[in-house]
Order: sequence, then C-alpha cells, then structure tokens
Amino acid sequence: MKTNPQTSRRLLLGGLALALVGALAFVALRTGPLAPVKVQVTPVTKGRVTPEIFGIGLVEAQRSWMVGPTTAGRVLGVRVDAGQTVQPGQVLAEMDPVDLDQRLAALDASLARAQSVQRAADAQLGDAQARRTLAMANLKRNEELARQAFISPGALEARTQEVASAHAGVAAARANLGGSTQDIARLRAERAALAQQRSNLRLLAPGAAVVTAREAEAGTTVVAGQAVLRLMDPASLWVKLRVDQGRSAGLAPGLVASIALRSRPGETLIGKVARVELLADAVTEERLAMVAFDSLPAGVSVGEMAEVTVQLPAAPERLLLPNAAVVQHEGKTGVWRLTDGVPAFSPVVLGAQGLDGQVQVLEGLNEGDTVVLYSQSALKPGARIAVVDRLVPSGAAR
Amino acid sequence: MNDTPLGGIRIEGLRKVYGHGDTAVEALRHVNMQVAPGEVVGLVGPSGSGKSTLLKCLGAIIEPTSGRMTLGNEVIYDNGWKVKDLRALRRDRIGFVFQAPYLIPFLDVTDNVALLPMLAGLPNAKARERALELLTALDVQHRARAEPSQLSGGEQQRVSIARALANKPPVILADEPTAPLDSERALGVMRILNQMARHAHTAIIVVTHDEKIIPTFRRIYHIRDGQTVEEAGEGRALEDTAPLSSP
Amino acid sequence: MISLAGRDILHGWSKYVLTGLGLGLLIGVTLTMAGVYRGMVDDAHALLANSRADLWVVQKDTQGPYAESSSIKDDVVRSMRGMPGVAAAANVAYLTMQVQRNGRDQRVMVVGMEPGMPGAPGYLVAGRHITRNHYEAVADVKTGFALGDVVRIRRHDYTVVGLTRRMVSSGGDPMLFVPMKDAQETQFLKDNDAIVNDRARTAANPAFNRPGSPGLLEAVQSLQTSSRSVNAVLVQIAPGFTPEQVAGPIRRWKHLSVHTRDQMEDILIVKLIANSAKQIGMFLVILAIVSAAIVAFIIYTMTMGKLREIAVLKLIGTRDRTIAGMILQQALGLGLIGFAVGKVAATVWGPAFPKYVLLLPGDAAAGLVATLLMCALASTLAIRVALKVDPGAAIG
Repeated sequence: MKTNPQTSRRLLLGGLALALVGALAFVALRTGPLAPVKVQVTPVTKGRVTPEIFGIGLVEAQRSWMVGPTTAGRVLGVRVDAGQTVQPGQVLAEMDPVDLDQRLAALDASLARAQSVQRAADAQLGDAQARRTLAMANLKRNEELARQAFISPGALEARTQEVASAHAGVAAARANLGGSTQDIARLRAERAALAQQRSNLRLLAPGAAVVTAREAEAGTTVVAGQAVLRLMDPASLWVKLRVDQGRSAGLAPGLVASIALRSRPGETLIGKVARVELLADAVTEERLAMVAFDSLPAGVSVGEMAEVTVQLPAAPERLLLPNAAVVQHEGKTGVWRLTDGVPAFSPVVLGAQGLDGQVQVLEGLNEGDTVVLYSQSALKPGARIAVVDRLVPSGAAR
Repeated sequence: MNDTPLGGIRIEGLRKVYGHGDTAVEALRHVNMQVAPGEVVGLVGPSGSGKSTLLKCLGAIIEPTSGRMTLGNEVIYDNGWKVKDLRALRRDRIGFVFQAPYLIPFLDVTDNVALLPMLAGLPNAKARERALELLTALDVQHRARAEPSQLSGGEQQRVSIARALANKPPVILADEPTAPLDSERALGVMRILNQMARHAHTAIIVVTHDEKIIPTFRRIYHIRDGQTVEEAGEGRALEDTAPLSSP
Repeated sequence: MISLAGRDILHGWSKYVLTGLGLGLLIGVTLTMAGVYRGMVDDAHALLANSRADLWVVQKDTQGPYAESSSIKDDVVRSMRGMPGVAAAANVAYLTMQVQRNGRDQRVMVVGMEPGMPGAPGYLVAGRHITRNHYEAVADVKTGFALGDVVRIRRHDYTVVGLTRRMVSSGGDPMLFVPMKDAQETQFLKDNDAIVNDRARTAANPAFNRPGSPGLLEAVQSLQTSSRSVNAVLVQIAPGFTPEQVAGPIRRWKHLSVHTRDQMEDILIVKLIANSAKQIGMFLVILAIVSAAIVAFIIYTMTMGKLREIAVLKLIGTRDRTIAGMILQQALGLGLIGFAVGKVAATVWGPAFPKYVLLLPGDAAAGLVATLLMCALASTLAIRVALKVDPGAAIG
C-alpha cells in the first residue's frame, strides 16, 4: 500500500527533472549555433517597375548677374538695395569718374578750337581760289597778247607760273581744310570714347531683376570684375539637381519631376527637367540637370536644398523581386532560391530598379519561384533553414 | 568445554589490550563465551567492565589481541582474523540491534530492512519480499511503506530487529535494546527476541544492565574487569504464546 | 541495489534543489561570461565577414579602419578597380557617434557605403536596401529602430528603410548604413557655429582675403567645408588570385597599407580583445573556485548531518566504497542540476545583455565536464570525513 505523499513527491521531482531536461534539449537544438536559420521567403511575381531618379539639389537662379565696373575705381554711390526690384536700364550705382569730366571738358575746348581752325582753313581756301581765278584770267589775257607778240615770252611764262602757283595754293588750302575737318573728327571720336567711358561708370540693370546683394558702399574701392551688386531674376529660379552617374539612366529633358523643398516639408511641387548638363562632375561622380518649377512658389531662397524625384516612363511588365532578396555570393549577384526547402544560389541578371526597392529580373528565375527574402544570418548552400512568417515582429521596436 | 553444537557462537580466551608499553590497558583478559543457536543470553556488567570492547570484538569492529572466535562452523579469529572481508562478515553473519533503532531516515521501512540483503547481492524484489516476511512476523507490515519518522518508538525498534535478521545471520548482538523502554515494552522486546531466536535459530547476545529484563535470561554472563563468569539466570517465562501487541 | 544517493536526495529534496538552483545561477553566470568572450570574438568575425571584403586598404602605417583611425582620398578606389585580381572595390567610411531617436541618444557606428558593393549589408531581416543616394538608412535591429523611423544625424533626417541583424562594430555598437556621400559629410562637416567661426577666421586672414583676387575667399572657404576623404577601401579578390598577389602591388605602388582578412582578424581579436579576454579569464577562474567551494560546502554539510547513519551503515556491513559512492553521486547530481539550470538561465537571459552573448555547444560541453570534475573534487572533502567515521560509534 503506497503512501501518497511519497509517490506524489516522486512524481513532482520526476516532473521537474523532465522539465529541466526538456528545457536543456530545447535550448540546445532551437537556439545557438545548432539551430536552423530562420528565413522569410517571397515568390517571384510579374509586375511593372516605376523607375524614378532621385537626387538632391540646390535652388539657383537661371538668370543672375554680377554688376560691377570694368576698371578699378571707387564707388561713388549705390542707388538700390538688396530686395529691390529694378527695371532694365535702371541706374543701379555709379563709380567715381575721377578726372574724366575734366578731360571731357578739355576735349570740348579742343573741339571748339579745331572748329575755329577749320573756319580759318575754309577762308584760306576761298582766298586761294580767288587768286587762282585772277591768275587764270591774267594768263588768258596774256596768252592773247603773246599771240599778237605784244608781250615777251618771258612775261607769258611768268603768268603761266602764277596760274600754276595759284592751283597749288588752292590745293594746299583745300588740304588744310581737309586736315582741320579730320582733326575735328578725331577730336569728336576722342570725346565720344571718353563719354563712353564716362557712361561705363554708371552701372545699369541688365534686365528686370531683384537685387540680391549689395556688396560695396560709396567710397569702397573695387577692382575690375568685382561685384558691386548681385541681381537675379526671381522668375527664373530652378533646381540644380545632382544625380549619381550610376543611377541616372534615362535622365532627359522634359521628364516630370516632383520637388520637395527643405523649407517646405510635406509639400510637393511639380516641375520638369529643363536641361541635362553636358558636363558632369567627375570628382563626385554625379550628373547635373536643371529642373524648372511649373509654378514657382513665393518666398523661395536661392541656395535652398531640395529633394527631387524624376519620373521615368514605366517599364514593361517583367519578373520583379524586392531588392532585399538580392545577395552577393562568391563574387556573383543572385538570389537564394528554394528547391524542396533547401536553399541554392542562383545567379541573376537584373534590370531597372524602382525607388521602392522593386527590381526587374531579366534572367535567372521563373515566375512562381520561391526565393529567400530575409534571413537571420548569411546563408550557405544547403544550409538548414526554417521558414517563418515574419522575422522581425511588426510594430514596436525595442 | 562442552562440544559446540552446530552453529551459534563460541569465544575462547579472548584478550584485548589497548595501547602499548606503559599506557597499555587490558580491556579484556580472558573471555570465554558460548551461545547456542536459538539461545538468548545476557551479558551483564557495570560500565568500564569491557562490555563495549567485547561487543566490538564480537562484531568484528575491532581486532582482539589474542584468542579464538568461532561463528557457526567457521573459525573467524584465531590470533588473527581468519576471514578476509570483515564487512561482509558483519553484513551477512552478524546482526546488530542498538539502543536506539537507528533506522536510515531516508529509506522507507521496507527498504531499511531490505538494504542488507540488497548489499549482499540479492535482487531488489527478492530482498523486499524477505523484508516483508520479517515485518509481518514482527507485526509491523502495515507500516511497510512508511518513513521511519512516522513510526512509534516501539514500531521502530521492531523494524530494527527485522533489519538485524534480514540476512539470516547466525548471531545477533543486541546492545542495551531495552534501556529507554518501560518494563512492559522492555518485556515485549525480549519476547520478540526470544521468538525470533527460536524462529530463525539465531544465537542472540543481549548486552544489558536493565534490571527489568535480567530475570528473563536462562543464562547470563557477568563481566567484570575484563573477565566473564557464567551464571545461571532465572529464566523467567515470557508470555510467548500471547499475540504480539505493539507497545 | 537501490540508490542511497537518490533516496537521500528525495528525502531532503527542497534543500538539494534549492542548492542546485543557486549553483545553477552561478554556473549560468560563468557560462554567460564565456559567452560574452565568444560574443566579442564573434562580433569581430561578424564585422569582417559582413563587410564581404578580402582586403582592407587603409592609410599607410595604420592598423585601421577599426582599430585605428585611417584617412585616404576617395579617388584611390578608382585606381584600385583597374588592378589585376580586383573583382570589386568600394569606399567605406566608419564613424562611431550618437544619433537621435525619439529624443534619446543612441550610440551607433555610422557606415558610409555604396549599395551592392563591399561594405554594404549582405542580407536584411526586414525592409529593403537603400535606393536613393541621400537620406536613407539601413539599421541593425540592435539599435531599436523600426522601419519608417526617422533618425537625425547632424543636420539631416534619415528614414530607416531596412533592418539587419548581427551587423555590429568590433566594440559591439550596432551599425547604421547610410549612403557614402552622406557619411563623408557627417564625418568631416562640423556644426554650424564652428563653420561660421572658421569662415570668420579665414576672412580675417589677409593671405586669403585679398582685394585683388575676387572669389579667392569663397574658394578657400568652400575648400574648408568639403571633404574628399574616406576611411578605407574594401577590395574583393577575383577567383584565382591569392590575397598577397593583389595586396603586394597596392602596398608598393600606392603608398598605402593593405591588410588581408587574416591580418585583420589578428588585429581585432588578438590586439583589441586581448585585454577583455584576460579579464574574462580571471572572472571564470574566480567563479569556478567559488562554485567549487559552494558544492564542497553543501556536500560536506549534508554528510556531516548523516554521520550517525554512516556509522550505522558501516557497522551493519556497508562497504566504504558504497558510502563514498553515495556522496559522490550526490555531488555529481548537484552538478548536473546546476549545469542544466545554468545553461537554461544563460540562454534565457543572454539576449538581455548589452553585449552579444554567444553560447557554443563546445563551451557547454566543456562546462559540463568541468562542473562534474569540480563536483567530484569538491566531494572528496566530505568523503574523507565519511570514511574516517568509526563504525563502533554506534555502539556504546
């Protein structure tokens, strides 16, 4: 006849021992290096990749100018300030003419004098012409007389010589006149040049624009090429987009783009690729493109950062895979395909990839194949795996 | 010296000296004893008389200095042990009953009794069978599965007697088995011992100075200063036909 | 024959089991410490294996990029790609820093990489790989980030698009993968106040701020804020070439240092981890001694409480070796319970440790053998006591 406490005690301890052994077996087989690798799988399906190109860029003005003098000088005065709108031809600033005005006055005086000289030459010409007329009339009379042998041939010669001298006199006077006219022309040209220089010292707005920076004040000395004012056309703002060379396939003018400005998170603006630059950046290995806004929002600053996504035409339907399934093994790109639950590496040739991670499979897989999507650790061919629904529980992180 | 009947225990000229030289103590001088199978004799003496030493020599716990001991038909000691394995000797051929039951607390009653046969090599089932037989003979079989702590003192004592008998030894050494008991229970233990002695043909030596039970012995060995003197005892009858009642 | 050890244990089971539990926790701590060491070594192996590189090209005479800082120009990789035996080469940048998540700081190693090239994560546990060239990130699950979380690194916000597992630095910090250019900017671009300060200093320097050279100042200032450096180039070797065949020319012609996978393992494991290994080794020894002492004490106490029974057993004919066996069995049983509890406990609480705890079956087996040996040794004290007990003590 058994006593209950002893039996129940034996049962209790036996149960505890069994539980302990069971726990030990469990931890040995299901955790640690002996356990199978947990994986999550996905089937290969057909679909369309919506390829997009992503890049970041800076807002720039297509039309912007640096207005400054062409020679070194001192700023006389600046008429506009940053933020002001200007019209084409408006005077923005003036440089100090120094002695230009005085030189202009000197030239004016020279010009007046040259005109006087011209008048004198003109009078001299008339004088020479009158003498010539007289000499010719004398000659004619004397020729008559010489035919009638009323005068000596010597006197005729003297008359002839007088005519010749008179001709020469006219020619000389004419030349004088021409010379003084040229002198006037020269002086006029000199004056025009000086006036041109003078007008150069007035800095004019090259187009309708907004002043973005006032970089010199009255009295500042600036060198040639230095900006006194910077202007830009606010209607010409666009985004200078930088795209990785390797991911820029299909970038072309005319593609629709969505622009997200850093200063306006959550707002997406629509634009278009206006131009793809012919010169890429070799150092950063990026291609450059200009993306124009369809409707320019107000209050956008030059130099703002923007994230631009350019839509490419949809690709034809092909086999698709999430890019998480793509792995590198022994130098080749491929996936772990499951055959009868055993993973084997299949090299694949990939096509276009969308920004959402879907990538086209051109070769290497068939529709309906099951491939490993996520795995707990790197797989080897023939590794023991256990397929689970989700490797990482969705929702709360640690 | 009479011819020793078959079995039983016989001691001739046993001598035990502790220490040597100046500090030598002669605990046993010249001890002669003889107990026939089925006989229960008393060994009586004051403390310091050598009782314990004699018991230890009889129990093959210590080695005597000289003499001769015969157990059953075998000479176990003749100026030197004649058996190689003293443990086996104690286990198989000598039974011990102590002052207190000294049951093993972590074994149940049956296993306490069956332990010795198991140690002797008997299969567990058979050993437990024998244990149950003995427990039944001692009228404690209803406690077979209990733990020693759950038994009354008298029940425990009976279990310890059963343990002593488990390997059917030719001799049982009982050391003051009745010391803590009152007279009724003491007589009850003596009754059991006498019954078992007859039942199993075991020679039983009871070391005691309990006045209550001394009259029940037919023969008594007095021991004083290391020497024994045989004496006839009263041999008062115990009501051995009366059924055993649990004290 | 029944098991005396078993019966004794059954009789006083609560004390025995509780001691086993306590011993088990101690053993669990020991196994965990060994696991921490293995985890550190595995972290280093994982770092090297997950980078999927065969060679690490770093600044000359440095042991970077993990053990030491290394800085090389980012166009070095182009000349690598043309060399014989190079299957793939890519720039990487590493930067350990605090990033912001939900207002709290989190220590991560920011890794600048190019997707699909060496240095990028080889497998994910959720989400997708990076497709945009800026402001996307793949995070290790140990960072606590979930898909869609926004991480702030310096000036920019990065969206977590993918999750990985076991991508950690050699120090155990989880990795956060970002595009290469963003990592370059993060590593070398300072905060706004520092930049403004630098600009003012440069403007005050007459060498750079000359009136006759318009544009010089802007050019110098933009030079200061641009960065064309990376920490290392990871190279994959084409089949048929040995690491030394490819590394030799690079060392000679490019004035760089090149470390092969074996050399990197040596640097990380032998040099970086050596200190921690010593500490852990000392801990293990101390724990082993303490465990042995506890087992010895408990078994000794249990034996001392049984001295009378042992005397009786000896007297009635039980052999010494049976009694010694009983004590030894009890000690070994304690060891088994302790080991089982310890192994289960170490497995249960291992993931909660900040460092990666790797419990290897070999270590567990060695631990089991060591535990049993220690228990056997610890029981010798009690066995000596038991054997000395005088059977005659039961008499008189």
